[in-house]
Amino acid sequence: MGLILLALIGLPAFFLPLPVWASVLLSGLTLAALVFLVAAGLSLIFGLMDVINFAHGTLFMLGAYLGWTVYQNPRLLLNVAPLFLALGAGIRFGRILSGRMPMPRALSGFGMVGFGAMAFWNHNLGKLVAFGSTVPGGAIPTPLAQEPLGLVFARMAAMTVAGLCGGWGMERTRSGDYSRSWGVPAGLLLLGVLMLSGREPIERWILESPADLRFLLAIWAGALAGGALGAWMEATLIRPLYARPIYQVLLTLGLSYVGTELVRVVWGPGNYAPLPRPSLFAAPCLASSVGEWLRQGCASFNVLGRPFPTYRLLIIGVGVAMWAGIGLLLRWTRIGIAVRAAVEDREMVEALGIPVRRLFTGVFAMGSALAALGGVVATPFLGLSPAMGLEFLLQAFIAVIIGGMGHYGGAAVGAFLVGLARAFGDYLVTVGITLPGLTEAIRFSPAIARASTVLLMAVILLLRPSGLFGQKTG
Amino acid sequence: MDAVLELRDVHTFIGSFHILKGVSFVVQEGSLTALLGRNGAGKTTTLRTIMGLWPAVQGSIRFLGEELRGRPTYEIAALGIGYVPEHRAIFRSLTVEENLRLAERRRGDLARKADWIFHLFPDLKGNLKKPAGLLSGGQQQMLAIARALVPDNRLLLIDEPSEGLAPILVEQVMATIHRLREEMPILLVEQNFYAVHHLADRYILMEDGQVVRSGPMAELLMDREGLQRYLGVMV
Repeated sequence: MGLILLALIGLPAFFLPLPVWASVLLSGLTLAALVFLVAAGLSLIFGLMDVINFAHGTLFMLGAYLGWTVYQNPRLLLNVAPLFLALGAGIRFGRILSGRMPMPRALSGFGMVGFGAMAFWNHNLGKLVAFGSTVPGGAIPTPLAQEPLGLVFARMAAMTVAGLCGGWGMERTRSGDYSRSWGVPAGLLLLGVLMLSGREPIERWILESPADLRFLLAIWAGALAGGALGAWMEATLIRPLYARPIYQVLLTLGLSYVGTELVRVVWGPGNYAPLPRPSLFAAPCLASSVGEWLRQGCASFNVLGRPFPTYRLLIIGVGVAMWAGIGLLLRWTRIGIAVRAAVEDREMVEALGIPVRRLFTGVFAMGSALAALGGVVATPFLGLSPAMGLEFLLQAFIAVIIGGMGHYGGAAVGAFLVGLARAFGDYLVTVGITLPGLTEAIRFSPAIARASTVLLMAVILLLRPSGLFGQKTG
Repeated sequence: MDAVLELRDVHTFIGSFHILKGVSFVVQEGSLTALLGRNGAGKTTTLRTIMGLWPAVQGSIRFLGEELRGRPTYEIAALGIGYVPEHRAIFRSLTVEENLRLAERRRGDLARKADWIFHLFPDLKGNLKKPAGLLSGGQQQMLAIARALVPDNRLLLIDEPSEGLAPILVEQVMATIHRLREEMPILLVEQNFYAVHHLADRYILMEDGQVVRSGPMAELLMDREGLQRYLGVMV
């Protein structure tokens, strides 16, 4: 196994000049870090819950879009997010009520659709999606595009009622898993009201703060929202389906399409150019030492004579830090031990007095937060596109399969290999290799770059059918 | 004597199979009670039902005055029941130490009881850093029991500890269980009548999902007809 790794990393060094090899390696690591952030959650969730989460790439994408929006256009978020918070709160209220008295299914459906339509009737979403007018440091757009506060509150109320109708008519779960407390929905509603009523000062505060602070805020907001979304998904949608794996596949696959379409509706179908980089990675200079980079905040770094963007080093750093952090968590903490034990035997962990359910929700939330974090960190490098979720999901799946399903370290190695394969594939396509005696470089067709990771997977699966670290039975 | 655990008319279905058909019995404070019966009589199902791993559809299971039926497994365990399942369900990929640490219910449980536990199971002490899957069968059984001793439990449920062990190891395990009876009441499921008849002070005899007899072990030893009929044992 170590030999395969060495061969993959070292072999190209023989026919590539060293500086080229080093920069391709670093590009590969950048991609690997992002793939790992998606693959880690995918692998942990599969290992612990046997759930193959096809919506994991969507969380990566949503993280990217949310982070972007916090950074560039908080107005959009401040006007739209409260509506979704209200929907969630309404559903929770409805479920509490459904435990007390029944509601006809048809009435509940009509109510949900009717009030939902009312909430978005003649909504000015299109006017809010103005990223061009809110360039960093630029003028804050006039509040014309925003609807009057009263109207948005009315929309929020309609959304709450829509959720209430929906939740009320839902089938009661026999075990009564969901919490019956009023606190959670009330908190959601309060958060929405606070966001809305403070929309102008909050927006001004965000847009007027330094870009670096805004970027940090975007990272936190993206990761937290991703984690919350993951926890919500596990507790409400996936939990009833643990006994029915095929339904889980349909559900998560469906969610990934819903997510992509939602992004198209709210943010438009187009791609966005990368976010401006934080100041430490933005100055137009070429650093030749770490000290110089840190002092001047150079955008590129001299790697054996070739420039390499410093921001990618940050991505690699985030990937490595998360890999190590979660590795340590799994290795040393009691929660980590419980997660590893539950991968082996859930019942026995439960019989030791540990609530495995909560463990599931926690791991799902953490995996989702990681993916969303990856999305935010990727925006200054990749920009945004509605297809980025599926793209990274595919790469992450390949990484997880190469490493062995459900093996944490395997996911890291898999991501590493996927990143390298893709970087070398790209290199062979764009630059090609020059062989002695030939005047022109041999270049491969662009399809090879995209296929490189799949080819790698095929080769590895032929050698080890259950992945590099996979158990035979997996 | 007070009852630690009391089952009354417990019914359990697995799928559409009616496995427990009205099980009632009592485990008393300070006793080692053997749950006997042939293969398929419902002994393991009884333990799993107590732990909430199978749902009881009817009846009541009271532990120190608390109703267990309908509660999630982790709550039942946290009330103070140590469960040693059949097939020694230790976590094979975790080290011995991690297995024990996971059983802590409060911080410091393991540190507090380490001396006592390693006195009972000296073999474990030298293997703390070893993956539990690499232990011998006897050591794995010891670990499974030791794990149930880490938190402050008020009752032990032990399922077939002699299964798959060499006779000399069975003796060792049983000797340990014998020493544990002074610490807390134990409900011991065992197929091997000879392994427990001198150990237990009370017995419960199951047949086809029901309790057919129960009482002091001494009575069962005199009951040649019952032993032969329900356990196929000739005394």
